[in-house]
Amino acid sequence: MDISSDSKILIVDDSNINRAILSEMIGDKYDLIEARNGAEAVAVLQNQNEEISLVLLDIVMPFMNGYDVLEVMNSRRWIDDIPVIMISEESSPSNIARAYDMNASDFIARPFDKSIVLRRIVNTLMLYEKQKKLTEIAVSQIYEKEKNSNLMINILSHIVEFRNGESGLHVIHVQNLTQILLKNLVRITDKYTLSISEIAMISQASALHDIGKISIPDEILNKPGRLTDEEFAIMKTHSMAGAAMLSQLKFFTDEPLLKTAYEICRWHHERFDGRGYPDGISGDAIPISAQIVALADVYDALTSDRVYKKAFTHETAIQMIQEGKCGCFNPLLLECLSISAESILKISNGSAKLSIYDQINDIAGECFRHNELTSAKRTFNLLKHEKTVNKFFMTLSNELLFEYTTTPSVLTLTPAGARLLKVEEIVVNPFAKNGSLAKIFTTDCRSQLSELVRNSSPEKPEFEFECDLNIDGQIRHIRAICRSTWSIDDTMVYTGIIGKVVFGLE
Amino acid sequence: MNITECYSALGGDYESVLRRLTSERLVKKFAVKFLDDKSYTLLETAIREDNAEEAFRAAHTIKGVCSNLSFDKLLHSAETITEALRDGDMDKAKELFPIVSENYQLTVDAIKALDD
Repeated sequence: MDISSDSKILIVDDSNINRAILSEMIGDKYDLIEARNGAEAVAVLQNQNEEISLVLLDIVMPFMNGYDVLEVMNSRRWIDDIPVIMISEESSPSNIARAYDMNASDFIARPFDKSIVLRRIVNTLMLYEKQKKLTEIAVSQIYEKEKNSNLMINILSHIVEFRNGESGLHVIHVQNLTQILLKNLVRITDKYTLSISEIAMISQASALHDIGKISIPDEILNKPGRLTDEEFAIMKTHSMAGAAMLSQLKFFTDEPLLKTAYEICRWHHERFDGRGYPDGISGDAIPISAQIVALADVYDALTSDRVYKKAFTHETAIQMIQEGKCGCFNPLLLECLSISAESILKISNGSAKLSIYDQINDIAGECFRHNELTSAKRTFNLLKHEKTVNKFFMTLSNELLFEYTTTPSVLTLTPAGARLLKVEEIVVNPFAKNGSLAKIFTTDCRSQLSELVRNSSPEKPEFEFECDLNIDGQIRHIRAICRSTWSIDDTMVYTGIIGKVVFGLE
Repeated sequence: MNITECYSALGGDYESVLRRLTSERLVKKFAVKFLDDKSYTLLETAIREDNAEEAFRAAHTIKGVCSNLSFDKLLHSAETITEALRDGDMDKAKELFPIVSENYQLTVDAIKALDD
């Protein structure tokens, strides 16, 4: 049973004896951390959740009980990566079911039996480790597969372009542009409901937009000068020809990729005002996939050298399109083009790379949403690194620095700060009636603080205030420099305060 | 007295605890630790102060510890009072408490009489 020996197990039980018995049973194979109640457990998880491999959790406990802990672990999604084994007297079927419903992995009833406890722990750890490995394998498999099928599409589309005397970059450009535009489009409007994988699929299909050109004779396709009306009429048949090639396929007729590619081939020369070809349809009768590819196609044609013209600059091209000199587009798409301009420029001058790798990451991310941490291991490690650095500086500092989080209500102080206030470094429920901070903070000070927090916002999070603290009966005047913290997602919920306290102003 | 004698004096199941904890040394170690456990005092105070919630948690903890140590006699009375307190029935709990108290004393005395 090879479970990495650096596995750290958190034991949460309000009884000293029960924790001691479990520690003794588990032995020194694993690192053990103990918490005496639910709130302490959450504080430990908050501070070192990336290091903890397993939680043994009692149910009936003061402050927060086992279910409360599970609830926090679910809402923070820690439960996705940290298995929880319930250890409890409360082994009635309804209690067990409730714990399982809240994503607990296993249930060990008392009295504890050494061999059973150990076996359950090892099994759970192995299962999670296996699941992590499988996820990684699946992600890399999808990555390879997607990479290859994209490569195939690209090679085949290039064949058409090489005949056209072009470098083959056009296909890739259109693909990248399509992706950028679509991503921004779903940001600015709810009109087109497109998922991440649909966006990836449309940009993939966009590579096929000109396959119909295979049916256009060389002398027209590669004519250096202007085409005659007759030649242009032949040239215009390429969109319908491409669509026909796809609709005549005997296989994959139900595949969304094929349907999308068909739309793109057939309608990527339609205009929003109905004056395009081959069908002359207008407005949103033109599928959004074709509308977007049409825009991408025009932009890339403008900014590339062609046998008959020199490349325009990015700015000129955008301006020409916005002024309606190169076709007529959906106003929403034009808005989308303006906000995409910067990322388009970055892609086209090579300062940013996009393309299939991004798409694959997006898709892999979507498939394994519940395992975000595994698929984003690098981000995870960066975060871990940042936390270590942070912790280190906190320990070194001689100042009273603090971090307060609202849920769970936990105050973390620098060691120096904890000494100054004569409290622990991590204080759970600091402002509760019997909380260790309740005495220190005078009522006046607390109402001042809550007023300031209420008045702060994500845009203006900093504030300062002065007040008196009561440390062991001694009144000390302080000044606090604070910053309120807010959730990173769209909800912008107030999550806590960080700050520094300066003494000695009396 | 030795550990086997201690367990029969306090009405416990030595065989069961030895099987689960796997050594006599550990059984002894944790039995002695029971003397430091504050749950009984907590239960006594909570019942005196009519705090059913606190009393429930304390009784529940005693039950858990006794179950792990196979202190069956005390376990049984702790179990009964835990169920009364779960329903918030303080009158019944007060009625049951003397039995818990008696069994607790019996258990503590037996552990104190253990040879070193």
